[in-house]
Amino acid sequence: MTRNFALFPLMVVITLISLPLMVMYGFLILDTVTDAPPGALWPDEFTLRHWRFLWDMSAAGNVWKATLNTAVLALSMVAVVVPVSSLAGYAIARLNLPYRRFFLGGILVMHAFPAVTLLIGVFFVLKFAGLYNTMIGVILVKGALMLPFGIWIMKGFYDAVPWEIEMAGVQDGASRLTVFRRLILPQVKPGLVALSVFAFLDGWGEYLLPRVLAPGSDMTVMSVLLNGLIAGDDIGYDFNLFKAVGVFYTLPVIALFAIFQNRLMTIFGGGTKG
Amino acid sequence: MSSFADPIVDGARRARPVRPRRAPVSRLGLILMAPALLLLTLFFFLPVALTGVFAFTDLSTSTGIGRGDYVVTPTLLRQLGDKGLSDTDAEAVARSSVTVDAAGLARARAAGVDDRFLDEIERRFMGRDYEAPAGFVRDLRGLRTAPRRPRDLKSAAALFETSVLNQRFATSQALAAQLEAMAPEIAPAVRARIVEASFTGARFTTENFRTLATQKETARLVGNTFLYVGATLSLFNVGLGLFLAVVLFYMPKGASSLFSTLWLLPRITPVVLYAVMWKWFTWEGGFLPILADQVGLPSFNYMKGSVVTAWATMITLNGFIGASFGLILFSGALRAIPLQQLWASEVDGASRWQQVRRIILPQMRWPILFVTAYQTLSLLSSYEQIWLTTNGGPGRTTSVWALEAFKTALSNYTGNLEYGMGAAMALVLVVVGLALSLIYLRLFKFSELVGRPKIEI
Repeated sequence: MTRNFALFPLMVVITLISLPLMVMYGFLILDTVTDAPPGALWPDEFTLRHWRFLWDMSAAGNVWKATLNTAVLALSMVAVVVPVSSLAGYAIARLNLPYRRFFLGGILVMHAFPAVTLLIGVFFVLKFAGLYNTMIGVILVKGALMLPFGIWIMKGFYDAVPWEIEMAGVQDGASRLTVFRRLILPQVKPGLVALSVFAFLDGWGEYLLPRVLAPGSDMTVMSVLLNGLIAGDDIGYDFNLFKAVGVFYTLPVIALFAIFQNRLMTIFGGGTKG
Repeated sequence: MSSFADPIVDGARRARPVRPRRAPVSRLGLILMAPALLLLTLFFFLPVALTGVFAFTDLSTSTGIGRGDYVVTPTLLRQLGDKGLSDTDAEAVARSSVTVDAAGLARARAAGVDDRFLDEIERRFMGRDYEAPAGFVRDLRGLRTAPRRPRDLKSAAALFETSVLNQRFATSQALAAQLEAMAPEIAPAVRARIVEASFTGARFTTENFRTLATQKETARLVGNTFLYVGATLSLFNVGLGLFLAVVLFYMPKGASSLFSTLWLLPRITPVVLYAVMWKWFTWEGGFLPILADQVGLPSFNYMKGSVVTAWATMITLNGFIGASFGLILFSGALRAIPLQQLWASEVDGASRWQQVRRIILPQMRWPILFVTAYQTLSLLSSYEQIWLTTNGGPGRTTSVWALEAFKTALSNYTGNLEYGMGAAMALVLVVVGLALSLIYLRLFKFSELVGRPKIEI
């Protein structure tokens, strides 16, 4: 690395720019275990009462049930997105599909296309299919909207597998399906793991679809619960409570990121996005 | 090139004469694609098609989704009166008459009117018609079994009344026939107009687009959208992203990874919690207003209190999420620059600014183009963060096109969701989105990505 430049001014500049984020995330953690007098910036007492929502269901509603629902939504996302994308990604990467160019182009366009603009159309589809106000509808929609991304990621991973493996399998008399299952899938395991984590995180953080497509469902997810706390009519906003619930809600996300950081970054960076 | 220079290719060409061969289509491929195609058809193509169709209707909560009926209501008559329906015709339509028939008796029986009373009505008045309800009530009063209380008598009599008003007809013919029977003096042309106006279902119309093209609100929404996308993109997604990437590039590894993790946080934080943090940061009683109060600056709810601060909040909070995308992408591109170029420039005495300006930035052209293209689309259509924070406020000063389309169709507090209008607004976004993503594919060399498979089994 280039060394003969002064480091100090850079440190100052970047710290200043990052200050809002540092404050927000610093106080996010700090405020969950402290109390501050009104009108003061710094807390003056340590308390655990903001975490009472974990056992006192009157504080923020039934967070455990909401957490379970969120986990169901997130895991269902994995169950829909990963198998469907890995099959379609293989077909697109390696098999001689009719209209292959068209499919690829379509997937790419859909990948770039902002799916959220389709929400109104999706609403009608669910209404007509009788899936409006059900979690199944939300899962299917959310999964389908993530497919272009998933297929594209998986295609990238299949593309990186050497053709020789496949050719050797076919030479030895295995069918393409067997080759795919026994030889290729183990090669793209990192892709499957990364896509699973992505699908899980996407489902875990989702707010818009459950809120809009299943407002009357009794499967309240954490995002809807948390936002409901703030949108409630209470005059006194207990931000420390909101933050404690929020931190509780975000812990799995942070944990997953800490574990899979390197694998996720390559995908985030568009490395396999083309 | 001569055959001498490339004997292998030449030899191969001679051994295998050019034989156009259609590759066998992989059925396995289609089977593997099937689940994806099904889901994408249901939740991508179908919504696009439905958006396109409903954009040309006046579908809303009041028309309902599904088949409409034909209903003449007093309100409708008043509206038609404003448009030139004569008072005599309106009265004729509103006229009610009394017929004692089996249907009326059944209605009365279902409503719980005394059976002996009904039997007497059936014996004495069956098949009679009355021009006005008053005459019927008078006749009923003469009956031995009639209820004592005038109110009960009236409500029982009302059950025999028939009127076109407030009745639901499944077809236009049914309503027209009923109208003709009840008010034969109305001219057929007028009757047709009433029937047409009485349809409660959705109609095909280009009214949505005409409204969008003419109303003043549209210009402001478009202006807001441009300002929002332009400012967020240039200041944060590209500007701050590039700045952070370059600064972190020059920093030691530990500090660099610390800051890039910090800047990644807004992207991975669930959007609802991110909104909570910003509310805490900008609302009165929150961090910034308290800080401003302590140093003597104006202290109020910066997120919603004034137009300027609302805009600043909205752009910053979206920009902080966007900056990480640029940061990651630009950092990757920076690492691809050969370090020798930088060392050489240092030996030649280049300042850091010269290094950035002359060596780094020129090599960032493609990544910048990529980020711009990609993020323009996502900013153009994103509204979740805005919805959760400023929600277009104060008033509608920070509302953007996508948010307004969403609110028009799916989430407003007046209760009448205008699906048709929302679909029209969404259709504009869909068309712009499709056009931009096609351009973007062109730009980033689609054909290179589409290599043919090497095994054709």
